[in-house]
Amino acid sequence: MPHGDKHFEHLKLPVNWGVMALVAAVCIFGALSFLGDRREEVSGRSYGNRSGFDAAAGPASNVLATPAHVVGDGANWIDDYFFAVRENRILKKRVQDLSLYRDMYFQQKDISERYEKLLNLRTEPPVEMVTARSVSVSRGPFNNNRLIDAGSNAKIRFGNPVITDQGLVGRVVGVSPKVSRVLMITDVVSRTPIMIARSDARAVMSGDGGEFPRLDFVRGKDAVKKGDQILTSGDGGIFPRGLPVGEAVQGVDKVWRVKLYANRAPIDFVKILLYEDFSQFPEADQVLMTPQITELLPQPAIPQPVTAGAAASSAGVASTTPAGGATSSAATPASGASATSAAARPAAPRPAQPRPAQTRPAQTPATQPTQAQTQSAAATPSTEVPF
Amino acid sequence: MKTPFIKTPLKVTLDRGVRKGMAQRMIGPLDWIGWPALGVLAATIVLATPMKVFGLYLPEPVLPLALAFAWPLIRPSYVAPLVLALMGAFLDYFWGAPLGFWTLSLMIVYGVIFLLRGYMVGQDMMVIAGLYGVAVIGFFILTTLMATIDSGMVPRLISVFEQALATFASVFLVLWLLESYVHADVRFQ
Repeated sequence: MPHGDKHFEHLKLPVNWGVMALVAAVCIFGALSFLGDRREEVSGRSYGNRSGFDAAAGPASNVLATPAHVVGDGANWIDDYFFAVRENRILKKRVQDLSLYRDMYFQQKDISERYEKLLNLRTEPPVEMVTARSVSVSRGPFNNNRLIDAGSNAKIRFGNPVITDQGLVGRVVGVSPKVSRVLMITDVVSRTPIMIARSDARAVMSGDGGEFPRLDFVRGKDAVKKGDQILTSGDGGIFPRGLPVGEAVQGVDKVWRVKLYANRAPIDFVKILLYEDFSQFPEADQVLMTPQITELLPQPAIPQPVTAGAAASSAGVASTTPAGGATSSAATPASGASATSAAARPAAPRPAQPRPAQTRPAQTPATQPTQAQTQSAAATPSTEVPF
Repeated sequence: MKTPFIKTPLKVTLDRGVRKGMAQRMIGPLDWIGWPALGVLAATIVLATPMKVFGLYLPEPVLPLALAFAWPLIRPSYVAPLVLALMGAFLDYFWGAPLGFWTLSLMIVYGVIFLLRGYMVGQDMMVIAGLYGVAVIGFFILTTLMATIDSGMVPRLISVFEQALATFASVFLVLWLLESYVHADVRFQ
């Protein structure tokens, strides 16, 4: 008899109990992970531990999806072949309609730019963009995410808005060097501050996993009508103001929803706006600050002294310096520079035009007065002006 | 007179008599756990391709649910629940779900089916298909509740129904697994 059989020959592993214990342990682990997850906060910290997985999943998805792309391209080719005539008719009509809009756009743009200059409006600066390709998507009712093949190497950061040529898609919630994860605006944890273009009413667009996110917190009578254009409001600083989102539609349950522009075409290539909020701009305090009244109104006339000699002197100066500013202030000693420039500069202040740091040229503070200097000079009493 | 065609056997098989069953192959964990799991993962990644075919997006079934249903019916195993937990974690990361969301829901289905396997093994395939439908409904009710708890927003039920329907289409995978591996190994008969 082999040694040991005497003691263990009747020993039988309780497989069923062991498996059940294992299942229970995994369930407890899963439950604790689920309760400890803070995905609904949509913060960089809650997605931080996933960047390594995303970095590996992006290329793998690209390789494994190649056959699907081949099949899809073939299907699209067949689709185009059989429906080319109908599509051609539609496109011709669309070009005709859009030509009218293009002319109107140029007219309105010209008028808008003139108004901006007249009113010294502080318009939002252009935002730099990065183009990327969507390599993977989850579009189920519980999660709506995308992986795109651009990451922190392309300056993408947490919170950057993502758009297509049609409209808003979502925002970046996870970044690795070459791959980023985009939370779609249809995800159940997505909340987007929007405005209705016609009525300027504000609301919050809440994703529910479907193609038509719902509008919550709509205030006012007739604030929304069918077909109203929905834009981002910029409230909260998550998205810049004015990104096109979709059109208002009402469901059978009488709840207002948004028919997304981004769903008009497959979301293949996307653009990532390198925008976080206004604090990223170099002159953020100027953008957020309400303009002072002295900046908007013309400067009042400076009272002249009544002495005859001074009057003659000032007349002579006026005759030699028509602008009355730059030359005289340049000749003034440094101690009185600010006061002199206050008297010399015209009333129109320089409007704040903040630009992204990447495109802003190096400033030359020695030759160009800053906005703060202009404001302090405008607020200087006229009695301090030397003659 | 024409000579009748005599079909000669290509291969001579040894008749083992009462020990015939011993000649059958042995099924290892790689056969009924490893390869199906890898296939399901690959299919999940391929179906996540962002493309439209004839104007429709690709479906997004929860394919690991078919394994969570079939594996406890095939045989008790320590490896299967661990692999299923890893697949759930993969779905959590790949689909951007809260950590533990798919792991917990898949494991609950596995545990329930494992408890009921004595009543289910040996049933007709139509009955098994019906039971899989019941499991799919229960699974999506559970996930809907969990998503509501997590996000405070009820997912769109039409989308839930669509995904449940796509998942039920994997019943053929369940039937194939059961047909191939239940009682396929004499050591577990």
